[in-house]
Amino acid sequence: MDKNYILHKYLNGEASPAEVELLKTDPEFAAYLKVSEAAKGFEAPTFNSAETFESLQSKLSGKEVKVRPLFSVKQLMRVAAVIAIVVTGYWFFDNRDTTFTTEIAQKENFLLPDASEVSLNAMSNLSYNKNDWEKERKLSLDGEAYFKVKKGSKFSVETPQGIVSVLGTQFNVFSRGNAFIIACYEGLVSVAFQDELVKLPAGNLVTIENGVLKTQEVMADVNPSWIHNESSFKNAPIGLVLEELQRHYPITITTENTLNKEFTGSFTHTDLNTALRSICDPLQLNFTIANDQVTLYAKNSN
Amino acid sequence: MDNVCSEKIFNQVYQNWGKPIFNFLFFKCGDDAQASDLVQEAFIKLWQNCKNVPEAKAKSFLYTVANNMFLNEVAHQKVVLKYAQLQPNKINEQSPEYLLQEKEFQEKLQNAIANLTEAQRTAFLLNRIEGKKYSEIAEILGISVKAVEKRMSQALASLREEIEGI
Repeated sequence: MDKNYILHKYLNGEASPAEVELLKTDPEFAAYLKVSEAAKGFEAPTFNSAETFESLQSKLSGKEVKVRPLFSVKQLMRVAAVIAIVVTGYWFFDNRDTTFTTEIAQKENFLLPDASEVSLNAMSNLSYNKNDWEKERKLSLDGEAYFKVKKGSKFSVETPQGIVSVLGTQFNVFSRGNAFIIACYEGLVSVAFQDELVKLPAGNLVTIENGVLKTQEVMADVNPSWIHNESSFKNAPIGLVLEELQRHYPITITTENTLNKEFTGSFTHTDLNTALRSICDPLQLNFTIANDQVTLYAKNSN
Repeated sequence: MDNVCSEKIFNQVYQNWGKPIFNFLFFKCGDDAQASDLVQEAFIKLWQNCKNVPEAKAKSFLYTVANNMFLNEVAHQKVVLKYAQLQPNKINEQSPEYLLQEKEFQEKLQNAIANLTEAQRTAFLLNRIEGKKYSEIAEILGISVKAVEKRMSQALASLREEIEGI
């Protein structure tokens, strides 16, 4: 019988003992038998069935939700968020109020979008919204400013103490602390404060203190003196004058005892010594300057 | 029909065929971690195609998929086999000299098996370790019984040649 045939029978587990003996007589086939028997002794490594199954399960549950729509809601939300940020950001920047601020001894001249002129005195703050400007000429002021308004629609200046509105004119607004002083140089200005409304014709000046109309007087000036680097006062309390002085010079003023005087006159913005003398001489006062400290005291009389 | 989409049947198929598929892949690539990964891949494929696979066909599906995966991924790697554990020698009262010879022989055989071609080794080990008949091997590998015979003969001849002195 063909030994190869018997060998395959043996490998299939179908050979009889006699046939196996027959194969053993041939050294070639004896070697095959030995190798085949020895190979049975090997085994594959242990298969970690449970662990593999667990990891299989987790992969399967993960794979079930693998389908992703082309435009997922999440992605759209991301795009929308970016657009929203850009748009609001632009809107925010574009819609910011335009603000001008001046420091001590600084004056600023500039034009508004309608070519109205504004001069901003020292230590003042003015802001308006350039987008709304065409609809409504409106700005807020804290401090003092002089306006030359081009003719047109209503032009309003809002201050903490009241609203000044005009159609087209030249006027000065002083709004500091409790004092609210409006001077009209051309045209007609209406001043609204508390519940009152004052119409101010050209060449008039109105002083409002703590929401109460104090004086309304005629003045001769054609524009405010501070435009020409000078501050003028008429029967003004000395405190108000010294406050103004400190707006134009970087100094601190101390007075020896409470001065209760009124000042009429003006001081320059260009030279401190001259300015101090302009104030002190008519009031019978003396002054000393040490660095930024200015001390005023009464002249030794009698 | 009775396809493997039901979790119960799927688990049953895994219990029955997880280990044989693992051994089959191990005989091919000789790396148990890789064999384990491929087993998972094969079962994932089975789950994804569960609607088309009746329970009775699951076994051949798994072997075919495992074989294809092996061919796709590792067919061209040079495989060095490391067989896990040799079975303890059944005969204890042998002389130390004989045991040494025996151990040496097993080592030689192991190397020789590692040097077989992948086709020869898979057929040979399926027959020797798994105890599968030629017809089963032919079905698993998708070849004829005659081809299995040929591979077995070639494997034995090359082993005999490699191990000198038998």
